[in-house]
Amino acid sequence: MWKVTFKGLAGHKLRFLLTGLAVILGVSFISGTLVLTATIQKTFDDLFADINRGTDAAVRAHEVFSDFGGAQRPNIPASLLAIVRQTPTVEAEVGNIQAFAQVVDKHGKPIGGNGPPTFGLGWDPNPKLNPFHLVVGDPPRADDQIVLDKHTADTGNFHVGDEVTVLTSRAPRKYKLVGIARFGTVDSLAGASITLFTPREMQRVANVKNQFSQISVVAKPGVSQTQVASDIARTLAAHGKSQYEVITGKALTKETQNTVHKALGFITTALLVFAFVALIVGMFIIYNTFSIVVAQRMREMALLRAIGATQRQVLGSVIGESVVVGLLASAIGVAAGVGLSIGLKGLMNALGFGIPGNGVVLRPIAVIVGLLVGSIVTIVSATIPARQAARVPPIAAMRAVALERPINRVRRVGIGGAIVALGIALLLSGLFGGRGLLFVGVGALLALVGVFVLSPLFARALARVIGGPLTRFRGIVGSLSRENAARNPRRTATTGAAVMIAVSLVGFITIFAASANASIGSAIDQQLKTDYIVTVKGSGGNPGLSGISPELAKRIAALPEVQSSTPIRFGEVAVAGSHTFVLAADPKEIAQMYDFGAVTGSITDLTPNGIAVSTRKASSKHLKLGDLVPVKYVKTGVVPLRVQFIYKNNGLVGDYMISLANYERNFAQQLDFQIFAKLKPGVSAAQGRKAIEPVVARYPNAQLKDNAQYKADQKSQVNQVLILVYVLLFLAVIIAFIGIVNTMTLSIYERTREIGLLRAVGASRRQVRSMVRWEATIIALFGTVLGLLMALFFAWAVVRALHDQGFTKFSAAPIRLVIIVVVTALATLLWASLPARRAAKLDVLRAIDQD
Amino acid sequence: MTATIPPTKTIAARAVQASKIYGTGDTAVHALDAIDVEFPSAEYTAIMGPSGSGKSTLLHCVAGLDSLTSGHVYLGDIDLSTLSDKDLTRVRRDRVGFVFQTFNLIPTLTAIENITLPIALAGSKPDQAWLDRIVDTVRLRDRLSHRPSELSGGQQQRVAVARALVTRPEIIFADEPTGNLDSRASAEILGFMQRAVQEFGQTIVMVTHDPISASYANRVVFLADGRIVDELRDPSADAVLGKMRKLGGE
Repeated sequence: MWKVTFKGLAGHKLRFLLTGLAVILGVSFISGTLVLTATIQKTFDDLFADINRGTDAAVRAHEVFSDFGGAQRPNIPASLLAIVRQTPTVEAEVGNIQAFAQVVDKHGKPIGGNGPPTFGLGWDPNPKLNPFHLVVGDPPRADDQIVLDKHTADTGNFHVGDEVTVLTSRAPRKYKLVGIARFGTVDSLAGASITLFTPREMQRVANVKNQFSQISVVAKPGVSQTQVASDIARTLAAHGKSQYEVITGKALTKETQNTVHKALGFITTALLVFAFVALIVGMFIIYNTFSIVVAQRMREMALLRAIGATQRQVLGSVIGESVVVGLLASAIGVAAGVGLSIGLKGLMNALGFGIPGNGVVLRPIAVIVGLLVGSIVTIVSATIPARQAARVPPIAAMRAVALERPINRVRRVGIGGAIVALGIALLLSGLFGGRGLLFVGVGALLALVGVFVLSPLFARALARVIGGPLTRFRGIVGSLSRENAARNPRRTATTGAAVMIAVSLVGFITIFAASANASIGSAIDQQLKTDYIVTVKGSGGNPGLSGISPELAKRIAALPEVQSSTPIRFGEVAVAGSHTFVLAADPKEIAQMYDFGAVTGSITDLTPNGIAVSTRKASSKHLKLGDLVPVKYVKTGVVPLRVQFIYKNNGLVGDYMISLANYERNFAQQLDFQIFAKLKPGVSAAQGRKAIEPVVARYPNAQLKDNAQYKADQKSQVNQVLILVYVLLFLAVIIAFIGIVNTMTLSIYERTREIGLLRAVGASRRQVRSMVRWEATIIALFGTVLGLLMALFFAWAVVRALHDQGFTKFSAAPIRLVIIVVVTALATLLWASLPARRAAKLDVLRAIDQD
Repeated sequence: MTATIPPTKTIAARAVQASKIYGTGDTAVHALDAIDVEFPSAEYTAIMGPSGSGKSTLLHCVAGLDSLTSGHVYLGDIDLSTLSDKDLTRVRRDRVGFVFQTFNLIPTLTAIENITLPIALAGSKPDQAWLDRIVDTVRLRDRLSHRPSELSGGQQQRVAVARALVTRPEIIFADEPTGNLDSRASAEILGFMQRAVQEFGQTIVMVTHDPISASYANRVVFLADGRIVDELRDPSADAVLGKMRKLGGE
């Protein structure tokens, strides 16, 4: 029986190449992701181990709460340094602090800020504790001297002796570059841009007095890390400072590594979700190929049965084929994945996310997962076709009948309807019942599968409707395409299903982004009463890590043309125990520039001891005017704030607001995220811009925008995310398209006679090509139409669910959906020229010759 | 021996020194061995011969479905051996009609769509009066909207004959057109073809191995080993059978 299996495979290399391609692509995505993240992880593990090698212990405050970037802790007083020094086993100790600092290049453009962080550190005089090693020059000795990391210096084309403008929370200042340093063994820490100041200047730019984020310690020779750590803890306790945390250098390294692992874990999961989507689309392709092949070989199967093969043997032979295809394709996929990860690493390096080191890390898990997932997907997809093959009666060998099974309508409606209903129920309970993302995802997948089960019921009718216009402008060739697409509803449905899934995701994200843009746009139009807004250049979405010096807002407020203005700041807090963001502004000023949609109270009532809450959070947390709510800050701990204002419009300002005075008291870093400004009556927009622009120009990471520009800016941020998702979905789309070619190739093989006849009675090669291409296009559009309908439903449900979070508008993005349809049609017409050419090249005589 | 015809008739198709060789050297098979043959207009010619005599190959070559190894095939004045695939396709579409033994129809098209297929492929409109006359001749009026799967074997072949006639081709090639039919349906089809020759002046060349089928023709050409070996005019079934016995065929 195995001989039959292998002969079957060898005899149809092309179709198994096509089947295998879906697996190869999906598996390469999985393996590529695993290899790449393992490589990045290994790099950072080594890097942090190297950096912390000299550190035996560290003293710091306890964690207040942790976010994606790691634990958040308040600073510690510099006076602790003297206490630590009293520990007999401590040889050296140094305190340091980290804060926003961004270098401006020679053309006035800020360096970095689009991803990797930009920050400043004090230069540690102790070489054992300092992770930086000077490549050229000297350490900073005066407060107007700095050292830059080599990557930043290279990017800005800076040399020792140059004058460098650095942006901090203070006014921009010029420094003299005295040295260039490498971080551990690399030019830069994953693309981060780091400025090294003197410890005293660092305190000034961080806007703190005598504070450190951490004290690093070197132990005396022969003293273990555990020993010195417990000794320090004892010294601190003896001075009544036991509220601080002491950990060993090894634990610190482990912790930093774990933070990276966690962040990488998110990336890995996100990428694997898209790989999973691609493989699901691939499953339809594999299922379809095996189904068609089994149907075409029914005679052969029946003959095997007639000469004595058992059902189990026939089943085994088809499953055997799937095992061979699955294993082979997965192995190729793993190899391709390794290649892919090398390419991606190069790409990331080119984009400035420095991943140092050579080569990639290939862990057994990347190989095992790739092989396992690829094989299982292939074998599972082949199971149903294999069972059909086994069920063929031996007598079928003698009959020249069509072996297509009739569609059991009642059963199909029952099963398909039940799956759709279950899927929608899960989706809605995930969205509106607060069951979370997993329910939404599984629900959406089930709904798609359910529609796939139902689709053979209406595939013929829908394909005829879609192909309708063709009969008019393509004549007989159009009718042939249309009828060919409609003649085999199950095949059209399965091929279309792969397209449906890919298109439903593309459509969903398109509609979702359009709705987000429409919601933001309408919020800006209706609620924002500013004339100008100052924003941070670059991503600007890194509150706390980067921002504009508060000096700028003061200067703008002082302009005679400006009637009102306020800085807008963002911070992380925990309100009544849940981690969230809070926005800060001057209440009196913002009252004139933002329509809060007041429910109770007024924004002008907000005092430094109060908080404003959106109606959404007020109702979910059962808060009413006058209630006290505990707010936990990193710097100051839990502070009870009184609810003084409840508002409806949370689209632009979020769910919580505090006064600027409250922010200054409770946050360590004072950086503006935005600045709102409104001009005096009678001052024209042009006059206003003329007055504000020169002030903003002195802060190179800030940019001035009117409301229309601000809106465009917000939209472009949404569109950037949209493009990223498009890129990640591209593979699924490609696999769906492979499916179309696969189906067409097999259909042409099946219709050799028919094509020969057409050619004999006068169809030109061009007409045959056109017929195949249009049939493929009808099938693709069948899937596209279903996919877009599903996308509309999914997006509508999600936007409805997010209504309270500012998604007030649903936009179906009709123009973009039309573009999706047109692009699908054009891509299919082009892509299907491969099988079309094959069909047109068929030898007429051979095709019509009787067998 | 060369098949001759009365000099007054025009020639619809002819083969000149037509050879078709499969393989090379010792294993070479001469399917057609320097054949000269003419098919006069408005005549019904049957080609007969034992299996492997080259009768199907001759038909395919004259019809432009296959190419010769050497020699020439003329359809009217056109030398088919000089034509590109595109021009050959056009010749087949506009000037030739086909009836095959099986699988004559496109399963997704209705009877009327199958009949008018060559015209539709040319992008033109059928001559309604002519179409009506053909449809009535082959008696398909009440079956026009049916698909092939809803038609009997005889009805399917009638559709094929109608399709072959619809473009008023210079010549119709029929390859065992009744090979899969019972005797009643066969008689019907052959009768239609005979009427087409008599009433419309249609030229038909038919390959068959059945002496009764051949007896419907005006002339029978006998092939053996790739050569024309004999010829009969206005044949009877018995006369054909006699010739075939002599050739040692079926």
